[in-house]
Amino acid sequence: MTNDVHGPGGGDGRLTPAALRAVTFSRASMLHHGYNEHEVDDVLRRAAAELARLEEENAELHQRVQALQREVDGVQVPEPPSEQAVRLLSVAQQTADAYVAEAEDFSRQVATQARDLYEDQMHQAREKAGAIIQAAQEAAGSITGAAAPAGDGSTPSAEELQHQVVYLQAFGEAVRHQLRSYLEALISDVETEWGRADPASVPLVPLHAHDTGPAPRLPEQVSVDGRHEAAGAQALVTAPD
Amino acid sequence: MDVAAMRATFAKAAAAGDEAPLWFYAHLFLSHPGTRQMFPVSMAHQRDRLFQALGEVVARVDDLDSLLPVLRELGRDHRKFGTLAAHYPAVGASLLATLQHFDPDWDAARAADWTAAYELVASVMIEAAEEAAEQPPWWDADVVGHERRTHEVAVVWLRPREPFPFRAGQSFSLETDLRPRLWRYYSPANAPRDDGLLELHVQARDGGPVSSALVRQLRVGDVVRLGPPGGRLVLDGDPDRDLLLIGAGTGLAPLKALVDQVAREGPTRRIDLFVGARTEDAHYDRADLQRLEREHPWLSVTLAVSRDELSSLPRGDVADVVLQRGPWRSREVYVAGGPATVEATLARIGPQVPAQRIHTEVFAASRPGPDLDGEVTA
Repeated sequence: MTNDVHGPGGGDGRLTPAALRAVTFSRASMLHHGYNEHEVDDVLRRAAAELARLEEENAELHQRVQALQREVDGVQVPEPPSEQAVRLLSVAQQTADAYVAEAEDFSRQVATQARDLYEDQMHQAREKAGAIIQAAQEAAGSITGAAAPAGDGSTPSAEELQHQVVYLQAFGEAVRHQLRSYLEALISDVETEWGRADPASVPLVPLHAHDTGPAPRLPEQVSVDGRHEAAGAQALVTAPD
Repeated sequence: MDVAAMRATFAKAAAAGDEAPLWFYAHLFLSHPGTRQMFPVSMAHQRDRLFQALGEVVARVDDLDSLLPVLRELGRDHRKFGTLAAHYPAVGASLLATLQHFDPDWDAARAADWTAAYELVASVMIEAAEEAAEQPPWWDADVVGHERRTHEVAVVWLRPREPFPFRAGQSFSLETDLRPRLWRYYSPANAPRDDGLLELHVQARDGGPVSSALVRQLRVGDVVRLGPPGGRLVLDGDPDRDLLLIGAGTGLAPLKALVDQVAREGPTRRIDLFVGARTEDAHYDRADLQRLEREHPWLSVTLAVSRDELSSLPRGDVADVVLQRGPWRSREVYVAGGPATVEATLARIGPQVPAQRIHTEVFAASRPGPDLDGEVTA
């Protein structure tokens, strides 16, 4: 047997087609015709191994081709939709849009009506409440007025007290208004004269002057909290005494 | 690239009015049925938006400097819709089919130009989206508080599950499962807090599907989704300058956030906050504003009513009330509210304060998102 079989690709290595074609066997012996059996067996063994390997590889490649084919089928560019389909879907969408718009419009109407009704009722209720309070005050005034002659002068009658409260409330309102105007003029001056006033000093000057006393901080009371006005009036009640 | 021819093609599609976007979306949904669920049931507003945005892109296609930032913003913002890079070719194919359908002069050259332009737009948007990949496409947030303050206003407290970075005065879009696929813009009424909570002021608009649901149906324990924050109503410029804040309705929210920022971070400056409402009862956040005013000597709050003859609050449009208390020449001015309020305030304050010191945000009934100039408007 020549070195071709046992050559570079030979031995126990893979049997290549070229190596197979180039195989030559040595004569078995001077006495026997034919090739050396051992050499033939060896080539057959290796040929079978190579065939088995190729079969295996072939099957694997076949599987991969199928998988790729499925993938390609999956992403296959869909046929562009027909014009008829596009029109049909457009109409369906428009119908849906119309329903939604109608529902929203209905909801808008209902909500608007509900709010108007709500505000109307609230307004009426507040007016009614104001009228009732006024009537009650008048009634209380007339009762205490009838009882007034019984007073001995040393303790002020309810009517007198009420008048005093009204007077003090008005007084407090006037004082607050004046203070506010004064403060605003002061602030305006500071702003216009000096441009950007020092942020730390500006609020301190007008506000903290009043923080020491029982008088409430003015901007809060004036600008925000209507309900706090009662507290402010009480604080001012003590001032004129 | 023949820009003139491209604009001519687009003009033909735009001239078809609603027909063109209708055709586009039908084509898209038929070709890629999976994309339908990314859109709301009613597509009416969506169609307007699409062609408006396309029109802007076409108008600026030869001015990349102004176009690129817009596209990048769009790309980042689209992440919250669940848009993936794979969706872009599908949209491109349907867009080309639509343009072709409405342009009798469509030819290979125009097809090539539009394909190239679309690929550029898509690549910029995809790139921006990928660059933003370290932040979530949206933030899930739990509703941890819900207070009905008036007939139509609720204050909602949200806790995002992931850190949600934003600046006081910014806004973000929000989606609720009560009204899927409808994103609406809201501004938190607070600066970033250590506990991450967000305070939202929501006014139910008559017939507004999202706002009504948020006010009347949202419950503690519900989950909403937040888009990335944006908007320019933030404190900048001279930190020594005193502030004049003017709001109407829930326009109060971003202004309250600015007050909160000054309270948390300083530097202390005088702040005059004016809030307008129709009636006294409509001042839904009065108690909390009073608390802030008590706690901070530098803050002065004035509430005004425009239609309430029984109220003891200053009467008139908030812009007029502000003007009476002026002058405000030295202030940095922030205005937030409905279009009419903002316009009226600008008209009153404009003569006193230079334009670069007036910052505005318009709260309109439905705010689809930042437009191409970065403004959050209707």
